[in-house]
Amino acid sequence: MFYKLPRFNYYRVTSLNEALKLVNELEDFKVVAGGTDLVMDLKIKRYIPKNIIDISRVKELDYIVDEGDKIRIGALTRLQEIVDSPIIREKAYVLAEAVNQMASWQIRNMATIGGNLCNASPAADTAPPLYVLNAELKLVSVEGERIVPVTKFFHGPRKTELKKNELLAEIIIPVEKDAGASAIKLGRRNAFTLSIVAVATLVKVSDNKFADVRVALNSVAPTPVRAPSVEKALIGKEVSLEAVEEASKLVVNDIKPISDVRASADYRREMSIVLTRDSLLRSLERIGLKLGGEE
Amino acid sequence: MALVEDPYALLEKWLKAREFIVVGKGIERADAFDKAIGKARFVEDYFDKGVLFVKQVLSEEPHAILEGIDYSEALKIPKVVGVFTAQDIPGENQVGYALPDQPLLAEGKVRFHAEPIALVAAEDIDAAFEAVERVKVKYKPLPVILDPLEAMNRTDVLVHEENGSNIAFRTKVRKGNVEEGFAKSDVIVENEYRTHHQDHLYLETEGALAIPDFEGRITVITAAQYPHLAQSIVARVLGIPMSKVKIVIPYLGGGFGGKDDEGPLVAAKAALVAYKTGKPAFLMYTREESLRIHPKREATIIHYKSGATKDGKLMAIEVKIIHDTGAYTNRGPFILWRASVHASGPYYVPHAKVDGYCVYTNKFPQGSFRGFGNPSVQFAAEAQMDELAKKLGMDPVDFRLKNLLRPGQTTITNQLLDHSVGIAEAVEKLAKKMGWWEKRKAFTEYNKRSKRYKRGIGIGVAWHGISTSRGVPDWSNAYIKIDKDGSVTVYTGIMEMGQGSPNSSHRQIVAEVLGAPLDVIKIVFGTTDAPDTGATHASRGTSIGAIGVLVAAAKIRERLNKLAAELLNARPDDIVIANGKVYVRGNESKSMTWQELIKQAYARGVDVSATGYFFLPKGKFDDAKGQGYAYPAYSYVAVAVEVEVDTYTGRVRVLKAYPALAAGRIINPVQVEGQMEGAIAQGLGYVLMEQFVFDEKGRVLNADMTDYVVPTALDVPVVEKPVYVEDLFKYGPFGAKGVGEMALIPVPAAISNAVSHALGIRVTRLPLTPENVYFMIKKK
Ligand SMILES: Cc1cc2nc3c(=O)[nH]c(=O)nc-3n(C[C@H](O)[C@H](O)[C@H](O)COP(=O)(O)OP(=O)(O)OC[C@H]3O[C@@H](n4cnc5c(N)ncnc54)[C@H](O)[C@@H]3O)c2cc1C
Repeated sequence: MFYKLPRFNYYRVTSLNEALKLVNELEDFKVVAGGTDLVMDLKIKRYIPKNIIDISRVKELDYIVDEGDKIRIGALTRLQEIVDSPIIREKAYVLAEAVNQMASWQIRNMATIGGNLCNASPAADTAPPLYVLNAELKLVSVEGERIVPVTKFFHGPRKTELKKNELLAEIIIPVEKDAGASAIKLGRRNAFTLSIVAVATLVKVSDNKFADVRVALNSVAPTPVRAPSVEKALIGKEVSLEAVEEASKLVVNDIKPISDVRASADYRREMSIVLTRDSLLRSLERIGLKLGGEE
Repeated sequence: MALVEDPYALLEKWLKAREFIVVGKGIERADAFDKAIGKARFVEDYFDKGVLFVKQVLSEEPHAILEGIDYSEALKIPKVVGVFTAQDIPGENQVGYALPDQPLLAEGKVRFHAEPIALVAAEDIDAAFEAVERVKVKYKPLPVILDPLEAMNRTDVLVHEENGSNIAFRTKVRKGNVEEGFAKSDVIVENEYRTHHQDHLYLETEGALAIPDFEGRITVITAAQYPHLAQSIVARVLGIPMSKVKIVIPYLGGGFGGKDDEGPLVAAKAALVAYKTGKPAFLMYTREESLRIHPKREATIIHYKSGATKDGKLMAIEVKIIHDTGAYTNRGPFILWRASVHASGPYYVPHAKVDGYCVYTNKFPQGSFRGFGNPSVQFAAEAQMDELAKKLGMDPVDFRLKNLLRPGQTTITNQLLDHSVGIAEAVEKLAKKMGWWEKRKAFTEYNKRSKRYKRGIGIGVAWHGISTSRGVPDWSNAYIKIDKDGSVTVYTGIMEMGQGSPNSSHRQIVAEVLGAPLDVIKIVFGTTDAPDTGATHASRGTSIGAIGVLVAAAKIRERLNKLAAELLNARPDDIVIANGKVYVRGNESKSMTWQELIKQAYARGVDVSATGYFFLPKGKFDDAKGQGYAYPAYSYVAVAVEVEVDTYTGRVRVLKAYPALAAGRIINPVQVEGQMEGAIAQGLGYVLMEQFVFDEKGRVLNADMTDYVVPTALDVPVVEKPVYVEDLFKYGPFGAKGVGEMALIPVPAAISNAVSHALGIRVTRLPLTPENVYFMIKKK
């Protein structure tokens, strides 16, 4: 109640077209979806925009569609809808698993997946699962649309691939067959916490060899990152606990953590190794390969 | 027959009661429903249109000379009514509780980052915010001193020049001869412990609404814990008599001691604006301001040496306690004093030497917080107990049982404890009930097999003196009146911050003693219109606060028994009044209703109003000798916990907590369980996750709830039903002692002892964040 928001003109739109027109015409604006990041940023004066465009009622961007080989998620889909969606749970469980570890039920009912991505926090928790799922993003403007891989979307803290007149419209997830995937988050408490490090991994195995390995992390670099060193070290290798443990150590080559109030860089480095290992083992377990390592 | 009005006689009479109508039962509290449906009103709910909105201008420097405050630009904003600085205070700009070292608004100098400098009042919120930004403060920065050890040894940089040293206050306790004690010891353990600040993080931040000229006095609706203290501070700041100030404390969204410190100050700030402008004024801290400004739990460095004989008898302790009191002492000397006399833990120790230092630094002040200096020192004392037991090859509980205080023994201040010492029995019962010895063995075995996850079980045992320390005067009081229709109104200064004393135990005590039905009893709490009842702190809301309630009710009951005896033709001792029915024992046909009895009292000239003043008898403490009387009684508590540590990440999970309490009569077991569970949750947060991060200038980097992390429901373990030993205290209402702070005090000890057991590494520093635990393991 006793906080001050900057003064701004407030526009509420109900269709994507209206929204695109406004972002094309207006200068100095911010789009608000669920507002769970933006309102705080307005309070602390990170942004002082002249105009606010509220897109939260653009119903046409709130959907989860199963197209067989891919899933399409509208950018305004609430996080809790993702957790609860039978489609996501069946075909991209790792996303539901990661989202379920975000914020709280109340926040997840306000916050959108598009907001999490567009906010471009290094700690964005939807990023690691979307990275390992090789998700793509549909960016739209009055001029048309383009598709970019999610791994190319983040340019730095709060900086994205979006042009001034573009909005994120959709997240496209190719459905992986015969893959095991998992997401693990380490925070400062058991719930309702920003990550110190979060890791998602996806593995495919054939003839007891790693056929595909994808590893992604957040909070250990200016943007969420993939861990190619770990991935390369494992692909083609025989599946074993030793191989996983050795490869996990290489994750430090792919990250550049900093020290802040949440954790030191050293701790983040060490935890990146542990969480990568744990997540890889869990992903393998999900395709029936239990290697131990828990005792 | 003369009526008994003597409080000692009345207390003793009711202490002997063996059968109860409502005492000891889980009676629903009077405010439960209103709070559940959102009808209960808190300070903020009284803010309305037309009230001036006040904001504080806070220091941007941690230590600097104030060279000037220019607010001319702020006054140009149309809706700004005024800006007020130290210059505008009509009375005294002095609000230190223990020492006169703290201004309400900075004067001459600022001593911590975010110290309040000025108040801005405006007709609306936006104007107030804008005005704050337009106030220009000119600082001449001074060197900043943050480390208490450094501060102690330096005189070239002084937080308070007038003091000549950064040591603000010292304490000392001496018993026997420690050299002799250590010479007789077969094992000696010596360690340095460190504990950190904690924020109260009450749901409701500090706030006050001051209304001038209501009932011919200035009335302040404020979030404080002692109305009469807020009244005296407001009167002092405004330079007016206390009788011209009325304080009302509505429901509070949590206090934990924090509002005992900051409450009177927020009241005085709002009052200053109301007084100067003649208009109602409202000030409420934002969460960030609350985190930056109000005093915190003590951060300490404790050097502890202890010795025991090979048959497991504690012989001597030598303890040095350093408290980082920040920019002002606030209640620091009292906190240090409490820590010093509790330094041994609840054990018999023949030789003791304790030295305490309260040290100024350029940080937010240290303040009152559930446990008041005790959780940190019990953490150190209990770590020592575990280490001694280990060296002696004894089980930690067995070792404690050999040394726990029993009636007839003396404390380290040489005070004789003649009664109400139930801790040994409580610990023994707890250990048996939870299967301590079996669990300890099972976990040790488990750890031999498990590589990654280690389990531990640990216990913390603690004590906490009831009432103010030393001979500092303490009393209770209450005023009760019964109206013609039989309804009962109780006026008390004890307030309601969620703990429930007025709305549960006070009500029950009145219903028990008067025999009036519960639903006609109304407690008017937290008001200066009641006699001064002391603060609602130090676990005294019921233990001390309700003595007055009991005495007042008992006085009226004596008169009513006499009246009823006349009316029913029986002896006064045979009159029973219960649940609104008045009858003769053994002959229930001779009866009348409560309402009839009261009507008769009005008709026949029986006074149905009374006050219940009681002054606690106390001894003296000799500061020079470091010996003497410390407290009228102690409450005792033990908490045992089971933990699991993930050694790969350093994460500690508390799996289960088992509390035991020796706090005299349990007036309301449901309320007590609530206190135990809440205290364990709050203690767990302190140990596992809460901490402030400062930069090199003493600025807090995590003054928000994103990064000041407290436990959620998913972090809190199952808390077993407490084991109670009702070791009655002769002056407590029905023998009750204090409860509110208890279960928090041994939690740092219990968790850290359990983690030490799990890892085989002695924990000497808090907090046990995953990162700290991880690197502790790695270092080994
Ligand atoms: C208490 C709390 C806990 C939280 N916990 C977590 C957590 O555990 N993990 C985590 O990752 N995050 C967490 N967050 C952050 C936040 O909730 C998420 O990032 C959320 O998904 C943001 O979505 P939103 O719809 O609220 O975004 P908004 O605040 O509405 O927007 C965020 C940013 O994205 C832009 N934007 C939004 N939608 C679009 C779009 N379609 N096209 C272009 N730009 C757009 C906005 O302009 C703004 O800059 C937490 C926040 C709070 C308040």
